[in-house]
Amino acid sequence: MPKERDDSGISRRRFLKGGALAPLALALATAGGASVYLRPGEAHGFVLRPPGAIAARRFLAACVRCGKCAQACPYHAIRLQDRSVGIGTPYIAARQIPCYLCPDLPCVKACPSGALDPKTTEVEKVRMGTAQIVDREGCLSIRGLRCEVCYRQCPLIDQAITLEPRHNPRTGEHTIMEPVVHREKCVGCGVCENACVLPKPVIVVRETVEVQRDSYDF
Amino acid sequence: MTSRWWLPRRAVQTGTILLLASPVAGFTFFSGNLASAELAGVRLSDPLACLQAVIGSGVLIPSFLFGALLVTSGYFVFGGRSFCGWVCPVGFLTELGEKFSSKVRRGGRFLPLATGRYILAAVLVTVAATGVPLFEVLSPIGIMGRAIAFASLVPLLVPAAILLVEGVAAPRVWCRSLCPLGAFYAIIARFSPLKVGFHRERCTGCGDCVAVCPVPEVLEPLWDQGACRVCAGECTRCLACLDICPERALSVGFRFKKEPHSVTDVGRPIEKSAP
Repeated sequence: MPKERDDSGISRRRFLKGGALAPLALALATAGGASVYLRPGEAHGFVLRPPGAIAARRFLAACVRCGKCAQACPYHAIRLQDRSVGIGTPYIAARQIPCYLCPDLPCVKACPSGALDPKTTEVEKVRMGTAQIVDREGCLSIRGLRCEVCYRQCPLIDQAITLEPRHNPRTGEHTIMEPVVHREKCVGCGVCENACVLPKPVIVVRETVEVQRDSYDF
Repeated sequence: MTSRWWLPRRAVQTGTILLLASPVAGFTFFSGNLASAELAGVRLSDPLACLQAVIGSGVLIPSFLFGALLVTSGYFVFGGRSFCGWVCPVGFLTELGEKFSSKVRRGGRFLPLATGRYILAAVLVTVAATGVPLFEVLSPIGIMGRAIAFASLVPLLVPAAILLVEGVAAPRVWCRSLCPLGAFYAIIARFSPLKVGFHRERCTGCGDCVAVCPVPEVLEPLWDQGACRVCAGECTRCLACLDICPERALSVGFRFKKEPHSVTDVGRPIEKSAP
C-alpha cells in the first residue's frame, strides 16, 4: 500500500475543488432538481387516493411509495404522482379511469404499510371523497335536459345519487330531473366524474367534508 | 485480475433491475420496489422506509415490521452495505457512470464518510417533527425503481443530477457520504460477521486494492493500524479488492471472533502514525 499520498496539507486547488466547487455544484443540482419537481402544485389540494387511504398528512408519511397498489389494480386506475412532496404516492385520475371498487379491494391488500387502512373491507363504507356538482349552470340535467348519465352510471344508483324532479320554471310545463349526491352514501369512486358527458365534468369528486352547508339540503 | 466476484456481483445488480421490471412484462412473482416488495409471497421492506413511515404516521402494521426485520437481518448476515455494492440500482448506475469519467478513477474523498450518519439523523428528525418522510420523497433509489416499473421519467432528474455532480466535481459523493440508507446499513455492517480478511504475509504493498476500492478509507487500518480484517461498516463488500489482488492477500468469509485491534471508525481522519 503506497504511503506517498500527499494530503498532509491542503493545496489551493484541493481547497477550491473540495471546499467551494463541490458544494456549489451540489447546491445548483439540488436547486435545479427541486425547482422542477418539488413544485407546490399537488401538495396542498385534494388528491383522490385509492380506497381506504388514511388522512392526507399521515398518508404522505405512511406511504412508502412502492407502487404495489398500482400494480394490484386490475383497471390500472391507480397512478403514481411524479412530483411534489407526494412523489411516488398513488392517486386516481377519475376522469381517465375511475375506481371501480373491486369487492376484494386488491389495492388495500397490497399496501404493506397501512397507508391504505387494512381494516377497510366493505366497499360501501369507503370514503375516498364525495362527488359534488361544481357547475350547476353547466349541468345538462339541471338545465332541463334528460342527461342523467352520472345517475345511471353510479354504482350506488338511487342511493348515492338520486334524481329529484321539480318544476321547470323556464319552460313552465316541463320537469327538471336534478341529480342529487347523498354524501352519507357516496363512496367517492369517481365513476360519475368519469361518465359526465361535458368536456369539463360538472360533477367531480372532492374532499369529504363532515359538515357542509349547501344552498339545498335533502 | 480475475472476475471471480465481479461476475456474480454484476449478475445480482442486473437481476435486481430485471426483478423491478418483471411486473411490466406481466410476471407476478415480484411486485413493488426496494422500499417495499413482495417476492414469491414474502413481504420485504426497506428498514429505513419502515422507520420513516412508522415515525411519521404512527401506523404500525406487524407484517410491515416483520418484513423490515427480515431485510435487516439478511443484510446483517451478508455484510450490511452489501446492499450498496450488490443490490442498489443507484450504486450500479454511479458505478457505470464512473466508467465514463476518467477523472474519477482515483476515488475522490470530498466529504468524510461519516456525513451520511448526520444526514440519516436529519432525515429521522425531519420525519418526527414534520411528518415528511424526506428520504422517501427524494430517494433516487425509489425514483429509479418507479422509473423502471411505472415509466415515471421526470423524477429521474435526481439520479441524473447525482451523476452530473459525481462526474464533474465530487466522485462517488452520493454513495460514499450522502446516502442515509447507506449510512443505515453501515451501522449494522459494523457488527456483521461477513468481512474481508487480510493476510499480511502475502501483501507486497502494490496498492491496487486501494485504487480499486470505492471506499479506500476502510483499507487504511490494514496498514496504518495493523488490522487483519476490514472492520469498518462502510465496506460495501463489493470484493473488487479480492479480484484485483495479484497475491491473493485478501479473502472473504464469516468471522465471529472479535479482533483485538479492531478499528471500526473510519469516519474521522486517521492521525499520521510515526514512520
